[in-house]
Amino acid sequence: MKRTLAHLVTVSALALSVALGAGAAQAKEFLLGSELPLTGSLARVGQGMHEGISVAVEMANRSYAGKHSFKVQTIDDETSPAKGVAAVEKLAGDGVVAITGGYGSNIIGPASEAAQKAGLVYITSGGVSPELTQRGYPTFFRINNTDGYALAMIGLLQDMGAKKVSIVYLNKDATSSLARQVNTALTAKGVTVGMHEFDASTSDFKPLMNKVKLQDRPDTIAMVGYENDYVGILRASKVLKPQVKAVVGVWSLATAQMAKEFPDLMENVYGTSMLPYPVEFTQPEAVEFAATYKKLFNKDPDYLGQFGYVQTRLLIDAVVRADEAGTLGKGGLPDELRKTDANTLIGRVTFDKNGDNLNFTHRMGQHQGGKVVLVWPQDAANGKMNFPAVPW
Amino acid sequence: MSNSLMNRILLAVALAVAYVGVPLVFGGNAYVLGLIVAALTIAGVAVAWALLGNLGGMVSFGHAAFFGVGSYTSAVLAMKLGVPVFAAMLLGGLGAAVSSIAMLPALRLRGPYFALAILAYAHIFQILATEMTPITGGAGGLLSIPRFPTVLGFDFGDKTGGYLIVLTIVVLAALAYDAIRRSTWGLALKAMHDTEVATRVVGVPSTHLKAAMLVLSAFITGVVGAFNAHFISFLDPDYAFSSGWTVLPIAAAIFGGYRTVWGPVVGALAIYLVDQLLFKPILPHGHQMILGVLLCAMILFSPGGLMPALSRRPVKENRHAHA
Repeated sequence: MKRTLAHLVTVSALALSVALGAGAAQAKEFLLGSELPLTGSLARVGQGMHEGISVAVEMANRSYAGKHSFKVQTIDDETSPAKGVAAVEKLAGDGVVAITGGYGSNIIGPASEAAQKAGLVYITSGGVSPELTQRGYPTFFRINNTDGYALAMIGLLQDMGAKKVSIVYLNKDATSSLARQVNTALTAKGVTVGMHEFDASTSDFKPLMNKVKLQDRPDTIAMVGYENDYVGILRASKVLKPQVKAVVGVWSLATAQMAKEFPDLMENVYGTSMLPYPVEFTQPEAVEFAATYKKLFNKDPDYLGQFGYVQTRLLIDAVVRADEAGTLGKGGLPDELRKTDANTLIGRVTFDKNGDNLNFTHRMGQHQGGKVVLVWPQDAANGKMNFPAVPW
Repeated sequence: MSNSLMNRILLAVALAVAYVGVPLVFGGNAYVLGLIVAALTIAGVAVAWALLGNLGGMVSFGHAAFFGVGSYTSAVLAMKLGVPVFAAMLLGGLGAAVSSIAMLPALRLRGPYFALAILAYAHIFQILATEMTPITGGAGGLLSIPRFPTVLGFDFGDKTGGYLIVLTIVVLAALAYDAIRRSTWGLALKAMHDTEVATRVVGVPSTHLKAAMLVLSAFITGVVGAFNAHFISFLDPDYAFSSGWTVLPIAAAIFGGYRTVWGPVVGALAIYLVDQLLFKPILPHGHQMILGVLLCAMILFSPGGLMPALSRRPVKENRHAHA
């Protein structure tokens, strides 16, 4: 009996050690690449996305602990298309399994083309230009697009009952495209729209806003640009005080940073935002995301971090699935990523054949007393909109 | 062995290394080869800038205009009219040369006034590229510009192909620069540097010569810009007319020695490759600062640039030779 028991224990121990050994042999470290503008004119947004990517890697290392581990190698593209290409080539040479990052359609275009040539998946949330997905690259994926921003802006303007809207927009590809989309949708609904284009070098918006005030006489001003443009437009408006009921913008506007840095300009202004500020999370993943973000960066997450997190987490999960299916080294990652159907912090994400997430719809937040309150759509709102109300 | 023969042998060895050695060693490393291509792109503009500055006596802050016009001309011809890429590249150079004609009135100006005028011209071309949306794609620019084709089984669209193209452009530009410098035109231009009035008195058409240098410099810059458009396969006005296409070549030319033919090439290779391969990994954010310090040190200790400093014999050796 003793001998049988000893034999059993020995066999069990051997079986356990083989099982553990096999498990250890399967555990892999995956190296992800990240190409981002960490210096230059897009440094601030690039840094935001970089933080989200770091949080995704940290959380994935926790959830896959003992099975797999993940590292990310980041290269600064210095807000330059040529250096974006060089960064992707360097990452490909260093053996990354895929690339997450990229900001600005003009940099993402050539950088993702280099990734396509190297056979690497390139996933982003930093380029919404329709041309990026129209190329039909099988390795290109993005979780947001112009349509989602346009739908949010149009939806809010409709709920406000806007009758005369002046759209003030930057003449870049993504901003022009969004402005045109909003114009077409509002005009079709009988809203009178005035279009006002400006150049990136514009620093004094008073002549433009004076034209809006005296010529258009709108009830709502819609802004499509970036942080510096919004600040310029709102400063000019504060001087000229056009008689409008609301000022609405899109990305990079309803953020904690803008609330802190320009409290006098931001009050009552609307912008796209997935999160209220201070952040209120209820889902377990979202709570963990916020806690990890706080731990790593000692601050609350903003929408850039949230997008960076989501794109990277979806990529990591697809990498693991492809590895388990034995297709990771055989170019199976794009197909695995295309099978994604996940409820994420930015809503449901699936990818069409061009790598676009057609489910993407944004939310609208309003600056209220140093906070960002979600006010649209109704089912996502965590407060009431101040309307009519402007910063002046 | 005479200096001239020695220089020829050195040039032949350097060209052999560039055409054979570099593709063999770095052909499998797209990243390093990509950086060398980017450095040679800057070198091409630096040679064109030095040609205008050294031979024409004009300091230009507007070479980004020629770069942008060349790149847009070539990209639009290839994309919208189906012109073969190599022909479009040469026509890009031609477009830049034609655009420089608009700048001829500025030749009446000298020194900082000329520099300022040409800077303003560059801005005008950027605005034109932004506003001519149906042709240039406006501020959104052009994506998926046709790449270089495969010729006789060799793919000029890949990294090695691109490297050989830009290397050839730079070598031809430098040889043209050298040929002009040695010609009677070069002699007249040198004389103009000392006293333009005196050269006019003896019948040298100084304005014509300066105009010719401006057009040639614009042509070379335009061809380099066109190459870059087909190599990167993307253009927008901010990128094509970026002040970087003026500032970096000037820094490269001064660093390498803009009064020598190969100084701008050596300077571009040195500052770009050292910055990206050495300084950037050490200091990912702020590596340009080291480059700035290095450039200042070079100007202070060897105002003529790197090439004159390298070719200068040590004092001790000279003394020994005289002894």
